[in-house]
Amino acid sequence: MNACERIRELMPWYVNGTLSHEEMRDVTAHLAGCEACSEELALTLRLKVSLDDDLRGLPKLPETVAKKVQAAIGGRSIAQIDVGSFLLGFSFGARVQKSGVPVQGDLKLLGRKIQLFKVGKEE
Amino acid sequence: MLSDQALVKRVAREDDEAFRSLYDRYADRVFRYAITLLRNQHLAEEAAQETMVAVWKSAGRFEGRSKVSTWIFGIARNKAFDLARREKRGDRTPEINLVSPDPAPALLKEEQVTGALGTLPEAQREVVYLTFYEGLSYGEISRLLGIPEGTVKSRMFHAKRKLVEVLT
Repeated sequence: MNACERIRELMPWYVNGTLSHEEMRDVTAHLAGCEACSEELALTLRLKVSLDDDLRGLPKLPETVAKKVQAAIGGRSIAQIDVGSFLLGFSFGARVQKSGVPVQGDLKLLGRKIQLFKVGKEE
Repeated sequence: MLSDQALVKRVAREDDEAFRSLYDRYADRVFRYAITLLRNQHLAEEAAQETMVAVWKSAGRFEGRSKVSTWIFGIARNKAFDLARREKRGDRTPEINLVSPDPAPALLKEEQVTGALGTLPEAQREVVYLTFYEGLSYGEISRLLGIPEGTVKSRMFHAKRKLVEVLT
């Protein structure tokens, strides 16, 4: 395998930034002196952008799945409503469980959670 | 914000708040990975559901030797292929939906991986997805798929050639 073939093989992972330091250095140094591989890099980047568009078109996981997971793990809470703003430094959250009854309300102030109320036992 | 590893440790102690965070970080990504593999939204939903339940149940066995993302995608991959096998054999019990759905949207849910990615064979599609969408290294993909690093690179090479044909 010649130098250009090796560099081109690594190109997708050069683009996603996961090569080792040495590989990153080798590819960067090679690109500085190889016009053909620089064009290959531009092509790889164009492919990635096109694929991003395709992937953005994939559907989102329906929220009903969260309820099914919740039921399967014994009704533990995986749904939460938060009101407030992290930026303002506070938020209020209420958790619900399988039964649908609010069991706990928390106030978060500057990252610290203070339990305000708790109704009934957690399942 | 807690790291993925810290969340898994808490999930192992049945911390439901930690699980909710992990669910928020991964459920949708697992679903997209499954739909990329299976090209079937219904099966991908089930794969995502089974994966997240398995994460809850097996968090205590996660030893931290791989990244949490690689561990979760490994579970998702097994679940997706298991569901596909069961579907093919006809021994999968579809979930009963009490509300009779309109068949038209259900039909539209099949074959959702469209565009250039959808033109690739499954093995190449998976490598492209994990590289460009999940940002995995070729080493991580090699371990996740249980194939040599050279095979990962070769699948990507052939995928790129095909994608250039389709996109240019």
